[in-house]
Amino acid sequence: MGKVIVITSGKGGVGKTTTVANIGTGLAMLGNKVVVADADIGLRNLDVVMGLENRIVYDIVDVVEKVCRLKQGLIRDKRYEGLYLLPAAQTKDKSAVNPEQMLELCNELKEEFDYVLIDSPAGIELGFQNAIAGADESIVVTTPEISAVRDADRVIGLLEAKGLNSPKLIINRIRPDMVKKGDMMNIEDMIDILAIDLLGVVPDDEAIVVATNRGEPVVVNESALAGKAYNNISRRIIGEEVELLNFKQEEGKFSKIMKILFSK
Amino acid sequence: MTQDLVVFKGTQDGVYIYIREGSFDSIKEELDIKLRKSGAFFKGGKIVDFKGKRLSSNELEELKDIVKDKHHLKIVERKKVKEKDFFTGIKEGMTKFVKTTLRSGQSIEYKGNVVIFGDVNPGSIVISGGNIVVLGSLRGVAHAGCSGNKNAIVAAFSLQPSQLRIADLIARRPDEDIEEPKWPEIARIEGNEVIIERYLPKK
Repeated sequence: MGKVIVITSGKGGVGKTTTVANIGTGLAMLGNKVVVADADIGLRNLDVVMGLENRIVYDIVDVVEKVCRLKQGLIRDKRYEGLYLLPAAQTKDKSAVNPEQMLELCNELKEEFDYVLIDSPAGIELGFQNAIAGADESIVVTTPEISAVRDADRVIGLLEAKGLNSPKLIINRIRPDMVKKGDMMNIEDMIDILAIDLLGVVPDDEAIVVATNRGEPVVVNESALAGKAYNNISRRIIGEEVELLNFKQEEGKFSKIMKILFSK
Repeated sequence: MTQDLVVFKGTQDGVYIYIREGSFDSIKEELDIKLRKSGAFFKGGKIVDFKGKRLSSNELEELKDIVKDKHHLKIVERKKVKEKDFFTGIKEGMTKFVKTTLRSGQSIEYKGNVVIFGDVNPGSIVISGGNIVVLGSLRGVAHAGCSGNKNAIVAAFSLQPSQLRIADLIARRPDEDIEEPKWPEIARIEGNEVIIERYLPKK
């Protein structure tokens, strides 16, 4: 029996979809059977980020309404065996499914897969309720901005109210140089407010923009710092003890890069 | 008073039951109450189908049970009109003209041919029983001959769909980057494959 993990944030644009694509791929690279499901009906993106848009025939709404079988709705990833995508519908909206149906779907999925990752839409309305309905665990993504942290705090409260205790935190798009100058919130400040376990820190990395536009998760790129961060997160999820990409270590790497750049 | 969840509508074919969005339990309850109140009125009539809210097959069965077993009304299954709908007017026939660009999430579905004066963006879908002609760029999904006509074609000024379906064949855009077409192209079925060729033969 697998685990259903919902990835959510409250605020939009903090990197939920990117996180789902990368952790999903990362877990599959470690040999797990994984399905990533897009619960953002009407504004689907996960298929595009994973580069699988052109393969969509059926979607999550078709599966839930039993227009097709579950197997028909799942799209196999082009790079990793054992990784599947369940895309959202684009021409419908969040009310096309309800939480009971999502719960049933999640239960069916976790029979077959080791990990079921649900990409939640932004907001805390029906779409969010759908996304968390069948979840066993949750991951909250935030960026080092007061607004994102505020929304993350709200979402953590909602998750706990729904019985999803101890959500894990991913801090995305941190810029060590700015934190050092005191222009950006630092990790300790955020954990101080949110008071949940830190699952990982992902630096702001141009490689992510490049990878996303290419439809190829950055985690496959081992030389990218963000790729390494996602790899570490995936390993932590399967229970390995991996040291957090320590802030100072990152700083070291960044300053190295800076030195190379400016030594010319 | 809230809006009725269950409404009966008589048509030429028989009585349709319209279901509005709402919790399934209240729908069942309301259907039951309404049939009890006015069941005699429908006696002998034919219930043709349920319309409105999307129902899962289980939910549909439950509603049918209420109508059939509890109130002893006949449900006449609609004949599979889909097969009769096979669209033949590919050379000359019904055509819908759409004077707008289709954006992500928008869709056009029509029994006959479809002509679009605009682009078809990624994330949108055009489903047509006949041909699809796009006077613009086709970057979304196009399904021509959806009722089974394999002679249907898809043509566009710039033909670069994420997915192309003709009748029951599905072709998808290659994963590698491909060059943008510089001229209008037509997609059609040849043998058992979807092929794409230049609209104008070389001069």
